[in-house]
Amino acid sequence: MNDIEINSVTKRFEDTLAVNDISMNVAKGELFGLLGPNGAGKSTLTKMISGILNPTSGTIKVGNYDIQKDSMKVKELLGVVPQDIVLYDYLNAKENLSFYGRLYGLSGKKLKERINELLKFTQLDKKAVKRHVSTYSGGMKRRVNIAAALLHEPQVILLDEPTAGLDPQNKHALWEIIQSLKSQGKTIVLTTHMMEEAEELCSKIAIMDQGKIIALGSPSELVKKIKLENTITLVPDKTSARLIEEIKSISGVKNAYTAQDENEKTETIKVITDNPDDILSDVVASTVNNGTKVLSVQLSRVTLEDVFITLTGRSLRE
Amino acid sequence: MKVKRAINQVAAVAKTDFLGVLRNKTAIFFTLLFPLFFIVIIGFTFGQSGTTETSSIVVGVVNLDGELIAVNATNSINGTIGDLLVEALESANFTIYGYDDYGDRDTNGTAAYAISRGDIDAIMVIPANFTETLSFQYTDNLGAQVATQSHLQLHVDPTDTTGALITQQSILGFTSAFVKQYQQVAIQQVPADMQSYIQVLADPITVLVSDAEVTEEELQWIDYMVPGTLGLVLLWSGLNHASMTIATERTKGTFQRMIIAPVSPTIVLLGKFISNLTLVYMSGFVMLVSGVLLFQVNLYWNIPVIILAMFLGSLSAIGIGLIISSVTKNEEAANSIAVIISVPLQFFIGAFFPLTMMPEAAQVFGEALPFTKLVNIMKDVMTRNLPFDAVIPELLYLTVSGIILFSLGTIAYRIALKRL
Ligand SMILES: Nc1ncnc2c1ncn2[C@@H]1O[C@H](COP(=O)(O)OP(=O)(O)OP(=O)(O)O)[C@@H](O)[C@H]1O
Ligand SMILES: [Mg+2]
Repeated sequence: MNDIEINSVTKRFEDTLAVNDISMNVAKGELFGLLGPNGAGKSTLTKMISGILNPTSGTIKVGNYDIQKDSMKVKELLGVVPQDIVLYDYLNAKENLSFYGRLYGLSGKKLKERINELLKFTQLDKKAVKRHVSTYSGGMKRRVNIAAALLHEPQVILLDEPTAGLDPQNKHALWEIIQSLKSQGKTIVLTTHMMEEAEELCSKIAIMDQGKIIALGSPSELVKKIKLENTITLVPDKTSARLIEEIKSISGVKNAYTAQDENEKTETIKVITDNPDDILSDVVASTVNNGTKVLSVQLSRVTLEDVFITLTGRSLRE
Repeated sequence: MKVKRAINQVAAVAKTDFLGVLRNKTAIFFTLLFPLFFIVIIGFTFGQSGTTETSSIVVGVVNLDGELIAVNATNSINGTIGDLLVEALESANFTIYGYDDYGDRDTNGTAAYAISRGDIDAIMVIPANFTETLSFQYTDNLGAQVATQSHLQLHVDPTDTTGALITQQSILGFTSAFVKQYQQVAIQQVPADMQSYIQVLADPITVLVSDAEVTEEELQWIDYMVPGTLGLVLLWSGLNHASMTIATERTKGTFQRMIIAPVSPTIVLLGKFISNLTLVYMSGFVMLVSGVLLFQVNLYWNIPVIILAMFLGSLSAIGIGLIISSVTKNEEAANSIAVIISVPLQFFIGAFFPLTMMPEAAQVFGEALPFTKLVNIMKDVMTRNLPFDAVIPELLYLTVSGIILFSLGTIAYRIALKRL
């Protein structure tokens, strides 16, 4: 069953075609990644799902409700974390959460419980909870920004670049939270332009560029789609045909060959494999056993970045 | 349940909006402290009374009355009545500086020099024959009294026209009363059966001035100003604030986030309205209370009419604010438009000075404004103590304009929702 169904949706702003005829589904319980460079149309698509923007054409269903015909039902189901921090900076964290909770119809004891739970989630200390949001650090604001979308325990959560501007520690903490939401069976659409984030978290990814989805699938499917492979590059002091044959015979090695390093005019050995981490030590060991010294080893995995570059000829973050 | 939920949502929107004002120093200043500040200025400028205090009028007196003057070959240095006039001026609270000489503007120490430098407001020259004339000392060769005239001269500072007028009026009023005393004495000298004729000749027409019976209490200018300030409250706390709320929230994105929630646009509007109305009442309350505490204004407190009229007036003010808030792109634009509209409007609603002082076209425009109607209602009930039915036509006008403007505001708001 799908929690989100997007059907030929287009959004045009005056002269920009921000979203160009996109169709895609997000299954219930899926952690779906929308990956794309700046201006790809990710936020525009999320804003249409959340009802802030109306599509120029096409239809969107959330939980089987049409977002325009049954907008109130859809709004109950959705929890939306905007890309920018959207909080009342003259209110403290608790007051902000209370405001959004009440908008979603929470009141009394239930509201208090939810606020307390989410205050724990924000990891703010007691003093900070009582200070106005304007005094918070970027990370504190981000966490409250997310918490404000979760008060009513939404089934479908839209997260627009939730980790933007967070340090690695906070980022990982947030990833854990996102994973725990997924484990509660929530359907999550995560927008990002960081491929590590999409790779780490998402079970399915749509790569967007210039308003279109240019690739859709699980991270491994996407990697397979492009004909790049994981490579181990060895720089030995000398090479021999026998060494190449020996490396080829290691299980897991798909191919091995010598190549000329363009800059340094030295010979290198390229080893093609599906799982470079597992066989790296075998490759190095057999080279050394052959009586060859290993001057350096380089390991290159095919990433979503490579997928993006292959598909568009441009880099993700520029 | 639905109703309870809606009330909860409206309350949340209203509270958040209201805290936005309470916790914003600039907003607090403009909605609460600025009115206070304003009333203090008005109070101290015009508060004392409708007429000018005579003590603030500085009169330079050149009393020549004591000087030697020949009365039909008899030298007289009789100056008693001139001195009396000066004393009377002093006791009427005028501030008196004495000078020996009228002089000229270039000679330090003379009256003309002082007035040219603004040290005094007027110069009164009491002529040398003042006492002689008023005490009938002039006789002909046969010893019969001869009526002569004595000319008091009054010079006022022409550079300050209104000031000069006030000064002139005050001194003339005082002097004529003083002279009248002596007129009576002169008339006593005439045979009794002639006195009434002489009286008529001396004063062929007299004008009796008194205040009509409009109020039972004696009113000061500040008493008229305070009800008028409620019209300003509508412009500042109503129109200005309403034009900012949605524009600000849209700029910050909180408006978008609010409508992501399952809350109808009407509920948001209602919450905003309630917060804004509270602000209007609060600011009006501050105005009235400070008027009472600082200046002891003397007003009639027809609370139901005050509350009703403020509510109806707020519909118009907030309606205009909503239109501004909806058609503008961002906070700054909304603010500038609100200022451009509300600042000039202040002068057309009869709060600072009566509309009748304005050109015809401006009066017609001013009279059409709902805020003017509110000011009129407030003056009617608070200073004239008119009953409810006397202000019904103006309340109806406020109702109709409130409904029209607020509906237009709602339409503009709905349109704005579509183009976030
Ligand atoms: N309200 C708007 N009016 C006009 N153009 C807009 C508007 N919102 C977005 N756009 C344009 O639509 C395109 C897509 O923008 P969008 O914000 O969806 O990109 P994004 O993928 O979220 O980028 P980022 O990673 O920078 O957040 C951009 O060219 C942007 O300039
Ligand atoms: Mg974006």
